[in-house]
Amino acid sequence: MRLISVIATGLLASVVLAVDHNNVDSGRPLRFDDAYSIAYRERAFETGFTLDTFRRSSPKYGLKTEYKYGFAKNQDIGIGFEPSYSTSNRRGDFGNVELSYFNGLRREIDDQPALAYRLDVGLPTGTGSKGVEVRARGILTKTVGQYDKIHLNLDVMTSTARIMDERQTTAGITVGYTKPLGYPTQFDRTLVAQFSMEQSRDRSRDWVGSVGLGIRQQVGVRSVLDFGIESDVFETKGRAKSSVRFAIGYSVGF
Amino acid sequence: MRNTLLLFVALTSVTMAVAQDHGGHQPTRSGTLPTMPSDLPRWISSPGADHLFYKAAPYNWAIERIPPFAQDMYGTGVGHAMAYEALVTGRKAQLETKVFETIDRVLQKPPRIPVDEAALSPTFVRKYGYLEKVFDWAHILHFQTIDVLTHPGWSDAQKEAEIERLWSFYSAQPYAITGLPMNMEYLDSFPFSGRFRSNYPKVNGLFWGYHWLQTVNYDMLFRVPVQDQAAQYSVLGSQYRTTELYRMRDFMPMTAEMSPRFSKRFPMIANAFDNLHMLHDNVNDILAAEELTEKQRQEQVKIAIYRVLSSTHKGHEPGSGEDVPGSLHDHRHPTSTPGMGFMKGMEDDVMYMSGMGWMDMSVCAHCSIPLPDGPMWGATVTADGWTMLVRCLMCARDMAAETPGRAIIRAATEDPSRILVLISDEEGILTSNIPGVVFLEEFGEHPECSAWSRAFTSKSAFDQFVRENPDLAQSKPLSLDAWAQINRGTPDTYRKIDRPNPYRPEPTTGGSR
Repeated sequence: MRLISVIATGLLASVVLAVDHNNVDSGRPLRFDDAYSIAYRERAFETGFTLDTFRRSSPKYGLKTEYKYGFAKNQDIGIGFEPSYSTSNRRGDFGNVELSYFNGLRREIDDQPALAYRLDVGLPTGTGSKGVEVRARGILTKTVGQYDKIHLNLDVMTSTARIMDERQTTAGITVGYTKPLGYPTQFDRTLVAQFSMEQSRDRSRDWVGSVGLGIRQQVGVRSVLDFGIESDVFETKGRAKSSVRFAIGYSVGF
Repeated sequence: MRNTLLLFVALTSVTMAVAQDHGGHQPTRSGTLPTMPSDLPRWISSPGADHLFYKAAPYNWAIERIPPFAQDMYGTGVGHAMAYEALVTGRKAQLETKVFETIDRVLQKPPRIPVDEAALSPTFVRKYGYLEKVFDWAHILHFQTIDVLTHPGWSDAQKEAEIERLWSFYSAQPYAITGLPMNMEYLDSFPFSGRFRSNYPKVNGLFWGYHWLQTVNYDMLFRVPVQDQAAQYSVLGSQYRTTELYRMRDFMPMTAEMSPRFSKRFPMIANAFDNLHMLHDNVNDILAAEELTEKQRQEQVKIAIYRVLSSTHKGHEPGSGEDVPGSLHDHRHPTSTPGMGFMKGMEDDVMYMSGMGWMDMSVCAHCSIPLPDGPMWGATVTADGWTMLVRCLMCARDMAAETPGRAIIRAATEDPSRILVLISDEEGILTSNIPGVVFLEEFGEHPECSAWSRAFTSKSAFDQFVRENPDLAQSKPLSLDAWAQINRGTPDTYRKIDRPNPYRPEPTTGGSR
């Protein structure tokens, strides 16, 4: 917990302004995206500390950092790093380098949802990584009620590496929910929640279901602090893998 | 069949005219709805969100150096968003009650960070997302120009050069609003015009109240040292929250009325802000017009955007349009004020100003003698919600003294980089931003007042000026206290223009002056 405080304080003190609490990107703090890119010419820096706990092994710490650039209207590209440290084997891992491309196809118009897709390419730079991993994600965002939104994310992930006992291609679906808190007098906080089902790479396991809850809090004119907690709740075959995952992060646009 | 059609058209026109008369004070309106232009820009139909980021620069968010001002400005993002959402979600009946109270509460206790207007008005944005692009982009220009002016460490010349670059940056996008002056009477002459302010005067008062804030701040900041900006906001912020938000105006505040110095230097930006605010008014009126179908509203909003887009006026020049008065390409402006389009009843430099009556903008507001040409601008007085150009410090002092409440005087000194800012309290006691300020007031012929009524940053500067002007050899330097004690009243040269209020045809006093 002390480590979390140190990292969070350091980030708050060092970076200057941008981003919006209403716009949700995967990892900040949960795993779903909304269907909107960052603005044209915006640069965003998103970073966050994660802590994965396991029922039968020691926790793992991660520090995900992503830089994005809105290179065209409704389109951004990014590069991300996710080094981690496992207490069980006392070893750090540089992790894979992830390249991303996001394309917002359309905004919400009348009753039609906003649509987007993103592509992520994971380069095998991490310890023991093999092959290039590609994830394609289709994203749909739709307002429900007055201010709340649901975000449907459909994922297909594939790897160029053929590994024994691992699926080469897997799928996932996440339903995200965002609700601004405090309207109509406060405008700086959004509740985020998700339900997710993801097919495990491990052939001995099947679909893993998880839920998550978090907050995105605007802390500066263009900077957001986020906090989230996720937990696997069921698995169609085998046991849930991660007991609880905490994430705390900071995003800034400039 | 043809006769039936003609009868229907005639009846519709009469119905619209009757509907327009509801408020009682409407200008002459056209009876037919504007029709869709053939050259509507294609981006209006683009389905993308098309969010644009502001120009990356070291001055961004420098507005936060004046926290109460920044927060009041952030609060302005709430009003239209909430009202638009109410208008498109069937809550018109609550506008003057519940919605007004909510907006007012936010404006009185504004957010500490900017508000995402689209998040507050999701239904409106789903219907009129193309309009949001125009508003957002213009609001960014608003904020960035303020940021430049509040940024410490740059000279006035650097700031003005950057504002020119910001204008180019803004104008490069298709959503940019024209910087040409536009005929405001024309823009307010459609069958639905005035509907919102007639039906929802309290909410409209809030809108025009914060348009006042959005326009009055530029002269507070322009060429004023950053350390002298915040003190002025104690006067303007209080005026905004206690009076301007609830003032019933005849017409929206114009940038050149509220910030005449900034508008003279950047007329294209002043015009763009006025055209933006008029677009807001047009949209308010369209959404409030009960007789329009949803399809007609969509069309009229697109046409309203088209009217003020920069692309619509490509090739036209400021000052042109005498051959097409009162139309889309009437870009005439008062001779003395290129940062303002023609207003209702305006004759060259003479216009009706809400709260002031008829004013000639080419002359001193206090002594009615023509203002000096060139960069030597004398002084301005901001009091009771208005800002006026005057020839000299004597006129500024005496005009401020005759106006109840607090006032701000901004005046040129011998040093172009040091503007004198005098702020009066409720008793009229003045404080200065220049501790050793020295005044010259050698009362003489009024037409030469700008020569013998001046301020200097130091006694030595005063002495040098006197040496260079032998006519003033006998003049004694006056301290602030001594100078402030003088009051020469309203000059004999002052000429009140007595005409009826063009926005209220019935007999009226014509304003306070």
